[in-house]
Amino acid sequence: MKKKVLSAVLCMSMAASLFAGCGSDAGTTDGGSDAGAADAGAAGAADAGTADAGDAGAADAGDAAANPIDTLIANTTDTVTLQLWCSEQEAYQTVMAELVDGFKSTYPEVTFDIQIGSVSEADAKDRVLEDVEAAADVYVFADDQISELVNAGALNEVATTYTYDIAQADAESTVEAVTVGGKMYAYPLTASNGYFLYYDKSVFDDADVASWEALLAKANEAGVKVGMNVADAWYLYSFFAGAGMELTMNEDQSNTCDWNSTSTSPTGAEVAEAIQTIATDPAFIAVNDQDSRAMYAQDLKAYVNGVWAVDDIIAAYGEDYGAVKLPTFNAGGQDVQMGSFAGYKFVGVNAYSKNVGWAMLLAEYISSEDGQAAIANATGESPTNTAVASTVSSPAIAALSAQSAFADRQVVGPNFWDPANSLGAQFVEGSVTDFQAALDEAVAGITQPANAQ
Amino acid sequence: MKKFLNGLKKYFAEFGTSVARGDIWTRLSLVIMGAGYAGRGQLVKGILMTLVECGFFAFTALFSWPYMAKLGTLGTVQREEVFDPLTMTKTVNDYDNSLLILLGGVIGILVIFAFLLLWISNMKTVYRIQTMKENGEHINSLREDLRTLINDRFHVTLLTLPSLGVLIINIIPILFMICIAFTNYDMNHQPPTYLFTWVGLANFKALFTSTTTITFGYVFARVLVWTLIWAVLATFTTYIGGILLAKFINNEKTIGKKVWRTLFIITIAIPQFVTLLLISKMFGDYGIVNGLCSKIGLTGFLQDIGLVSKGLSYIPFLSKPGWAHVMIILINIWVGVPYQMLIATGILMNIPNDQLESARIDGASEFQIFWKITMPYMLFITGPSLITSVIANINNFNVIYLLTNSYVTTNMAYANSNAKEVDLLITWLFTLTNDYSNFKMASVIGIVTFIICAVITLLSYTRMISGNKEEEFQ
Repeated sequence: MKKKVLSAVLCMSMAASLFAGCGSDAGTTDGGSDAGAADAGAAGAADAGTADAGDAGAADAGDAAANPIDTLIANTTDTVTLQLWCSEQEAYQTVMAELVDGFKSTYPEVTFDIQIGSVSEADAKDRVLEDVEAAADVYVFADDQISELVNAGALNEVATTYTYDIAQADAESTVEAVTVGGKMYAYPLTASNGYFLYYDKSVFDDADVASWEALLAKANEAGVKVGMNVADAWYLYSFFAGAGMELTMNEDQSNTCDWNSTSTSPTGAEVAEAIQTIATDPAFIAVNDQDSRAMYAQDLKAYVNGVWAVDDIIAAYGEDYGAVKLPTFNAGGQDVQMGSFAGYKFVGVNAYSKNVGWAMLLAEYISSEDGQAAIANATGESPTNTAVASTVSSPAIAALSAQSAFADRQVVGPNFWDPANSLGAQFVEGSVTDFQAALDEAVAGITQPANAQ
Repeated sequence: MKKFLNGLKKYFAEFGTSVARGDIWTRLSLVIMGAGYAGRGQLVKGILMTLVECGFFAFTALFSWPYMAKLGTLGTVQREEVFDPLTMTKTVNDYDNSLLILLGGVIGILVIFAFLLLWISNMKTVYRIQTMKENGEHINSLREDLRTLINDRFHVTLLTLPSLGVLIINIIPILFMICIAFTNYDMNHQPPTYLFTWVGLANFKALFTSTTTITFGYVFARVLVWTLIWAVLATFTTYIGGILLAKFINNEKTIGKKVWRTLFIITIAIPQFVTLLLISKMFGDYGIVNGLCSKIGLTGFLQDIGLVSKGLSYIPFLSKPGWAHVMIILINIWVGVPYQMLIATGILMNIPNDQLESARIDGASEFQIFWKITMPYMLFITGPSLITSVIANINNFNVIYLLTNSYVTTNMAYANSNAKEVDLLITWLFTLTNDYSNFKMASVIGIVTFIICAVITLLSYTRMISGNKEEEFQ
């Protein structure tokens, strides 16, 4: 018995010593970073003095903007290590590598070590929030993640820019999209994450794609299918938004939603009934993006999707590929133009970056006019920069910009998605008989307090 | 229980005796742990013991105390940063990280506990050496002590590493997870930027509450039931399937045994997630199987008899409750049977032939032989592994997650808790943490899963393995 106790004690004491090892390690790194931060703080304070002086001098020269960068270059003695996360698509990886090289040659005085990791913009939030201290310094993410990233403190505030002015380079709606609580948190990169209607011109003409009713009638007549992933909250939104209903996020991450409204025209229930009528039409399939790709070449001849699908669409429809804004739908006797989410990709700087100054400059470089032009050329995505946007054109991008007049920026709390997915799935199933009750139930879920769970 | 209490009593009584009857060196060991050894000539051991003591105090004072001091609040200083646009540098305050405080605090407390045990047992050892000295017995030198580690105390040497492993990779994470269940660590309280704090039993209360929007109570009960049904069915269908398949392949009349066996082993060779993703595509709403079914008219037939709702143009193999539940179990049979077949083949070959022969001579039918000899034998051998498979299936993330990642629930109550009808506790937990950063509820679910697994294991092990049934099979 005693021996057993002793062996246990031995283990424990060894364990203790082991922990002392790794524990103190953590301690020192912690202390290190703290000390580093403190150092940086001290240096910052000291530098602030010099920068002020420099500023005073520079004010004469009339070139105040360049000074912080010069100060930063002067203060940078070690190799600057940065990590950049962007989409795993080959086009993205290649163009980002070129941009990083360009960035390095812009600042020849500094030695950089910049690694490009492949984290798709759709996964950026999940990967960053896994361990924000270990995440990339600069990352590309989809606009729907911005509020959760800000909420977790993972984004560095864009208090000021150094090489270009976001407010001048981009449209006002874009600037609004990177603004959370009155502060900017990211650099706009592309404006192509929205959705619109692709169709095959050999089947449908311009009049057919103007409304769901005409589209479905023609599809039934021609024996082809049309599709939209209605069982997905992101797409389902377009019907209710088109009817002028409200969905926004409150300060505390909960949502305000009036999809069950009975006072609007059309009412929520009328919109819901219209959706179910469309979704249960024999020619309609609620297939998701991934499954749809194999179906373009078969009988899926019109589908609501975004620019990411353009290659597959062209491969299937060829010359006849067309793209337009979303059609109208008939709810309660009136034709309603569908709305949509305006989707962006943003470049964010990690608030925990060790080289936050350089990370900001890299993010600015990527999202600058030249950077966006390079990305638009390489990937076919439409830029947010208004100057570049005027030079890029394709049917898909034209459709996207036509739809953008009806698009809202996505300000949605996390509780929206699952209840709205579920609501869409009910319409697809065609099982809803009491539309008001179904909407009431969904709205209760969407608007539940953010901390209830 | 009584035995345990007596043991405890004896443990402390011995310590009391050591202090009461100890001489100056022994009592000095209360403060300087090595004194008792040094006083009897075991100088090196004395120094080592004192060093361990110093190490402990240094560790606690320098590393774990700052964390433990804040354990009550889990930190009060939130991170604040000031960016200086002129120098492009950032000043960050000395902020608290609730997660590190919790982790450091848990480790610190464990170390203190371990040290107390060491301290008590040290007193007893020192007193034993004192009595040995008084009786004029031989006291081991350090070299002799070390030698015992590879001789009569070899088990200590062997067990040290595994025990350490258990402590580090099992006990500490479990304690840590249990602690998180009592905090408000969720989307709005994410370290390092934000602090989280203790909330008592609020999360457990939420797990058993059901209102229109807080549906954890409703969902939890249903997910739990499906998890248990799944675990039992998944285990026994593959088990029986594996045995039957092995019997079939082992039968003398089967032609091409090796071909069959190879074919089934090839399915193991393909990584499971590849198989599962392919199957989930095949059985998708617009997959190959659905295309075939609608061509041959099966979809229409099923709609006529009411198994498929009229509104659907496909059979919802993996996208509606009921259908998905059955399909998941069927697919799991297909994926899991080859493993069980391999195991069963080995065991079937080991059944003592004399038993089978004497049964045949006595005129038993093949079925009787299978039911009365083969199955009991199999069950006896594979009993423990069966329990393990049930537990593994409770936590069978792969099959469920990969087959149903595009499943959308139509039940608002599930949606409000971020769950779906086909979720196991483990996949639900994954969604909560990965997509919704809801670590507090995930921990609560984790604890419940742990308790269920522990209870099942304990009960079935004691039932199945307690008696010595080996005799029955000789």
